[in-house]
Amino acid sequence: MATDDRVVVEFDQHAPEYRETYPAPAHELREQCPVAWSTRHEGFWVVTGHEELSALSKRADLLSNDHDPEGVRNGYQGISIPERGTTRGGFIEMDPPEQSEYRRVLNPFLSPAAVVQWQPLIDDFTRACIDEVIETGHLDFVDDFANIVPAVLTMAMLGLPLADWEIYCEPAHMQVYTAPDSPNFDHMLETTSRMVERLAEYVEIRKTEPRPGMITALLNAKVMGEFLPDEGIIGTVTLLIGGGFDTTTSLLAGALDWLDTRTEERARLVDDADYLVSATEEFLRYFTPAQGGGRTVTQDCEVAGFTFSAGDRMFLSYAMCNHDPASFPDPDEILLDRFPNPHAAFGLGVHRCIGSNLARLDFKIMLREALRRIPDYRIDPAGTERYESIGTINGYKHLPATFTPGRREGPPLAEVMETWQARLDAEPAPENLRAGAV
Amino acid sequence: MARVVVDPELCQGHTLCNMAAPEIFQLREEDGHAYVVVDQLTPEQVPLARKAELGCPERAITVEE
Repeated sequence: MATDDRVVVEFDQHAPEYRETYPAPAHELREQCPVAWSTRHEGFWVVTGHEELSALSKRADLLSNDHDPEGVRNGYQGISIPERGTTRGGFIEMDPPEQSEYRRVLNPFLSPAAVVQWQPLIDDFTRACIDEVIETGHLDFVDDFANIVPAVLTMAMLGLPLADWEIYCEPAHMQVYTAPDSPNFDHMLETTSRMVERLAEYVEIRKTEPRPGMITALLNAKVMGEFLPDEGIIGTVTLLIGGGFDTTTSLLAGALDWLDTRTEERARLVDDADYLVSATEEFLRYFTPAQGGGRTVTQDCEVAGFTFSAGDRMFLSYAMCNHDPASFPDPDEILLDRFPNPHAAFGLGVHRCIGSNLARLDFKIMLREALRRIPDYRIDPAGTERYESIGTINGYKHLPATFTPGRREGPPLAEVMETWQARLDAEPAPENLRAGAV
Repeated sequence: MARVVVDPELCQGHTLCNMAAPEIFQLREEDGHAYVVVDQLTPEQVPLARKAELGCPERAITVEE
């Protein structure tokens, strides 16, 4: 392995130094080599060049997302480096054509046209979460706001009880911020497996009690005349919870933290819808909540001038590629009207984040309303706590702030929860294609 | 006359072209992948199409003049 001319580095995306100095490691690595070999985590390629990322991301035929902990197919380790968990993480740990079948079922729920229908729910919960704290003059942007709205929305879209968001909240966040060498790692795995067990129970329940939403759609879907396997559906529901709960939350926290001292930008984001659109893309680029994805090379090959061997592991760092000055001039500056901004925050290629349209809608509404109703907030740096590892998701545990108290604009959160649950319950149940088939 | 094409093999539904120029790029209801709704670009549309071309994360858009 050491007989070639690869550039060897010691990079660990889960290390505290990475979190403390991000995005600087992007430049240190890229200047050595845009596709370098890290000796950490049993060895992996780390991609920090945007051009190289573009070339590699098109090659789903050479780079596999597969996760096969039981070694029945290829033994590949999936999208986490180091390998995480003993089960496959839904369709993001599958390759086409299997992966495409799951996305085909879910796309109609997550297309731009479909997600707009959820705007009334986002509006109501955004308003209610702010109302809960508006009279007090202080809040935690994560605990009181950013954790709640995306999570409730995810529950609604899956067809799960809305109030259950709270049960999944801690495990969903813990599974992304716990570093592989953390003393809490085993605790995290236990918490995650309890979450998965609970979701598995709901998948079972939906086999006899179908509800509008993605779980029933997955249960009703057939590929080549066969229903999708339970394991694939449960993994996918767990994936959608992780993606739905954590990423928009992290983006909001990053944006609100950065805007702490930028009062002019705050005002313009409230008043100028076009500015909010370009700012959203720029926050996505700069923070890149989902930092990257692991792959396994399926055969000896050469891409973008680099030579890879079958079985090599690779970390496509969307985050570090988003700071490549060749594609993004002044990459470490947040320029809210940046153009062009062809960032890779949602990934590139066939694994593009399936929830990107929902994330944008949710983020824009929540950011605009937070800035409109809490215009003079100041972050409390002493109480601010970022994730212990940002190698998976670049987010915050806590982001407390103080502000001049304001007035409520509507009914309390608990009432909004009940009203929406009743509204969703009143929708007719979809056809149950599994009835009589089991 | 100028025209613009979206390579359906490369488009992954990032939707940025539609944000830049909705009168040129529409999104499929089922998956949000883009398609072009004009045969020829008017002179006023060319810079908008160029904008979408530059902003596409997958480099799936080509303006032909």
